[in-house]
Amino acid sequence: MEPSSQPQPAMGVAAGGSQVYPASAYPPAATVAPPAVASAGLQSVQPFPANPAHMSAQHQIVYQQAQQFHQQLQQQQQQQLQQFWVERMTEIEATADFRNHNLPLARIKKIMKADEDVRMISAEAPVVFAKACEIFILELTLRSWMHTEENKRRTLQKNDIAAAITRTDIYDFLVDIVPRDEMKDDGIGLPRPGLPPMGAPADAYPYYYMPQQQVPGPGMVYGAQQGHPVTYLWQDPQEQQEQAPEEQQSLHERD
Amino acid sequence: MPDSDNDESGGPSNADFSSPREQDRFLPIANVSRIMKKALPANAKISKDGKETVQECVSEFISFITGEASDKCQREKRKTINGDDLLWAMTTLGFEDYVEPLKLYLHKFRELEGDKAAAGSQPPPPPSSTHNGAGVPVGYGMYGAGGGSGMIMMMGQPMYPPAASSGYSQQPPHHQMSMGGKGGAYGHCDGSSSSPSGLRRHDGL
Repeated sequence: MEPSSQPQPAMGVAAGGSQVYPASAYPPAATVAPPAVASAGLQSVQPFPANPAHMSAQHQIVYQQAQQFHQQLQQQQQQQLQQFWVERMTEIEATADFRNHNLPLARIKKIMKADEDVRMISAEAPVVFAKACEIFILELTLRSWMHTEENKRRTLQKNDIAAAITRTDIYDFLVDIVPRDEMKDDGIGLPRPGLPPMGAPADAYPYYYMPQQQVPGPGMVYGAQQGHPVTYLWQDPQEQQEQAPEEQQSLHERD
Repeated sequence: MPDSDNDESGGPSNADFSSPREQDRFLPIANVSRIMKKALPANAKISKDGKETVQECVSEFISFITGEASDKCQREKRKTINGDDLLWAMTTLGFEDYVEPLKLYLHKFRELEGDKAAAGSQPPPPPSSTHNGAGVPVGYGMYGAGGGSGMIMMMGQPMYPPAASSGYSQQPPHHQMSMGGKGGAYGHCDGSSSSPSGLRRHDGL
């Protein structure tokens, strides 16, 4: 009975797969267990539940909705940033008092002097930095808050700042300040944990996509595609081959 | 003028070595927190570690820009970092958006300082005054050009005495005495960029 039932689910999966992933190749239907395992190991297809033909349609709809939502969110955030810079110019044009600064000049000078190569500092330099640092704090906070809102929280946390640093190129010099743990926490916090991103991702997607890359699960993918009780037996050896941390992360993904 | 700056920085340096304090490596968390709230909705909250992280980021920002500006001054055999050097460094390091607002800010600051110098009881020397007067329109008109940059740099130096005076007035004697009483000092580190990381490790322990 087993030999006769094997080819049918494999063929079905191949057909469904070709519709959703034209570029990916599936192993032949008549392959034996060991070659199938080897072939599955080479694949990097995104995981999705059983009954792919039915799920693919829903998957596409959800993906399109997520994409539209994300484009709107990105446009909204871009508008917020443009508004931010307009406000900065307006605020500076209205500035008449240069005696009171939001940040202490002496402290700024000390921080500048921490670099032993720095010899002398003109009096205007800390003044410029006082305003520059204010703008820097405002922009970093605004970008961090965008991430707080995406996670439906009202408290800005360290991982929000980590996300802003990751998403913004000019903040590359800050990557050492936030540990990678904060970045991983961010991945879990995203509102679409169960939907893997497809195609060219927007700003937020690259960050979310990192966990996917860090957790390759070819065996899980193969098992999920099959969904057949007989095929499920083959999944056991593959699970044994995988490392515990990967499995844990994979479970997190499914949640 | 340079001597004045050197003397001014000499004192704090000695104090720094005598009693280093970690908090002196960051801007005050109260100031940072106040500015952060300006960027957030009224009902938003900020965690303590969020405030501390931004504190570290700002110090890193200052060191990052200062390092680039300092390198430029060394290449050009100049000893004093001025406002234009900082603006140049920001452009080089990707903070172009910051330069336009800060140019406006620096322009207004210099105008104000110029007025103070004119009205000050201690008028600057005639040569400086000449440069300052002649440089203002030419310098700003040619901003961005090499010659213009030179003019602006010349402007920066003559303006130092009134600026220094202003700087002193910005820090009341009481405030300075208070800082002295606290024994506020800065501990020197080999690499400024590594300071925040070092502090973080310390916090971890």
